[in-house]
Amino acid sequence: MNKLKKEPLFKVKDLVIDLYTEQVSVRAVDSVNLEVNAGEILAVVGESGSGKTVMTLGPLGLLPEGVSVDIRGQSQCSGQDLLNKPARELAKLRGENFGIIFQDPISALNPMKKVGPQLASQAVRLRGVSKQQGKEIAIELLQRTGIPDPEDRYNRYPHEMSGGMLQRVMIALALVGNPKILIADEPITALDATVQAQILELLKDIQCRENIAIILITHDISVVAQMADQVAVLYAGRIAEYGTMEDVLTRPVHPYTKGLLSSVPDLRSKRGENASGPAGITGSPPDQSSLLPGCRFVERCPVAQTFCSKFRPPLEVLPHLSQRHFVACPVAVESTIEQMEGEAYEQ
Amino acid sequence: MLTLIARRTLLALAMILAASALTFALIAAAPGNVAALIAERTAGPSASAELVQSIADDLGLNDPLPVRYGRWLSDSVAGDFGGSLRTGKPILEEFAERAPVTGLLLVCGGAIALIMSLTIGMLGAISNGGKIDSLLRALSLAGASTPNFFVAALLVMLFSVTLGWLPAFAGSSAASWIMPCLTIALFPCSVLSRVVRVNLQEIMSRPFATTGFAMGYTRLGVLTREALPNIAVPYLTTFGAQFTLMIIGSIVVETVFAMKGIGAFFIEAIRFRDFISMQATLLSFIMFFVFVNLFVDIICLLIDPRIRRQSNA
Repeated sequence: MNKLKKEPLFKVKDLVIDLYTEQVSVRAVDSVNLEVNAGEILAVVGESGSGKTVMTLGPLGLLPEGVSVDIRGQSQCSGQDLLNKPARELAKLRGENFGIIFQDPISALNPMKKVGPQLASQAVRLRGVSKQQGKEIAIELLQRTGIPDPEDRYNRYPHEMSGGMLQRVMIALALVGNPKILIADEPITALDATVQAQILELLKDIQCRENIAIILITHDISVVAQMADQVAVLYAGRIAEYGTMEDVLTRPVHPYTKGLLSSVPDLRSKRGENASGPAGITGSPPDQSSLLPGCRFVERCPVAQTFCSKFRPPLEVLPHLSQRHFVACPVAVESTIEQMEGEAYEQ
Repeated sequence: MLTLIARRTLLALAMILAASALTFALIAAAPGNVAALIAERTAGPSASAELVQSIADDLGLNDPLPVRYGRWLSDSVAGDFGGSLRTGKPILEEFAERAPVTGLLLVCGGAIALIMSLTIGMLGAISNGGKIDSLLRALSLAGASTPNFFVAALLVMLFSVTLGWLPAFAGSSAASWIMPCLTIALFPCSVLSRVVRVNLQEIMSRPFATTGFAMGYTRLGVLTREALPNIAVPYLTTFGAQFTLMIIGSIVVETVFAMKGIGAFFIEAIRFRDFISMQATLLSFIMFFVFVNLFVDIICLLIDPRIRRQSNA
């Protein structure tokens, strides 16, 4: 109820994550600051390898085995520090506070276990209910996530269900512990186009009804437009632009965000009408194993100046009304401010 | 499901038939004349050619090979393996006497291999690249590459000769069975513990293991809950193969520890060129191999829901 100084539900501060093997080390996440409030959907956008997943799942200890990880900075959930926590406590915290949905539901569910009993045992464990109640909760969750005939599906194995149904099961599994935060890592990428919309609708519905915060990791701008309240655009492990969905998508400032938005084909334009097609961004992301001092985007940037490759661009706030639009590009920020002042002058 | 099992069983029978024909042919092609051997044993070195001829006629050794094979097979199926050339007793009687010894050896050795390999494999996976993992890996490698007669000799030297804790020969006491069982279990245990370790590692990198972590389990919880059930099929398959190989190990172990089992019987049969016993023992080995693997196959079919449900539909 403390509205004056609301502590965010989940935040990362100065988060640095290095991944390394014996040969190379990669700075996958480089000084990232983010906040998520209850009932809010934060979309983390970026191309593959930009550090979206590492940034979100790394602090939870959910990176795949076999990769050595070094995490520094801060990561908190409801005021509890996630880093420097013993493995056992972190595991407990994960189960109780987070629900996680992965890209490919078929490989993310244990093939040897029936879906219903998995949910039921998780309910018994996290909610401390009896086995019978666990089963009831499981069936209710299956129903709530839109699975028809849940009593029958309860006894199915993952390989007996379709991808869309399994993603609903994953969502049900993520919801068992009444989590505060749902992390959805590319939740619809592996699904059929017709099912994608249904799953997004389900997520949105859950977020509204349960007041759960969702961190939506995606590379799909249309998904962001449909779902997000806040957007963080990640490029090569750093935040390029961060703000409300309206600000970032309708008034993009960072040249990378602009490029990303121009990569989306406009379906309304008829073929041949817009001969140039989506503009996109030329080149490919930099090799993150060799760290350069300057902006990571400099090699692909249309507005790059000489100083861009020498200093890391700070994340500056733009003087909108919202005061929550951050951009890590002094060149773009300056020209935007000039433009805004120009508009104001004309008026 | 039933048709699948029936198909596997038919295949197994065909395999027994083929393997038995092959061994029969090999032993028939081996140098040495059975009739001459029998004649020599009964009438001394100066046995006449007529005696040899009449024995060969009696045994039907002059018939063409397929006829002899057919006769031998139908007799064997009826339970008549013939008499041992060495002891004169019916081979079936010998088997009945000796099978409990070999059976107990295999069961005890198999149980040790099962428990130890799962424990060692799990410990390795828990340690995951730590000192214990490296140590266990080295031990498994050593165990898998040391021949069992050498292991038996080392054990006897240590526990019987130096320490005097255990008898060097297997008798009726339980203590005398410790070394034979350990010897025969060492190789399968080493191989199987690697199977457990490697498969657990592979499964821990699968997405559903990450889901297990996300559900709030610790690494140990994910290992036992998510990974362990998923290694059942590869583990059981290898276990079946290793268990059948133990019968080969029993040949050495029973000889070293002076046990009256089927393995020792086989070695004695070879030593005395007792072709009839050799054939009978080999047939029993083949049947053991095929039936154990058939059994394991069927269990794997029953365990894996993907196969089970598919074949139901």
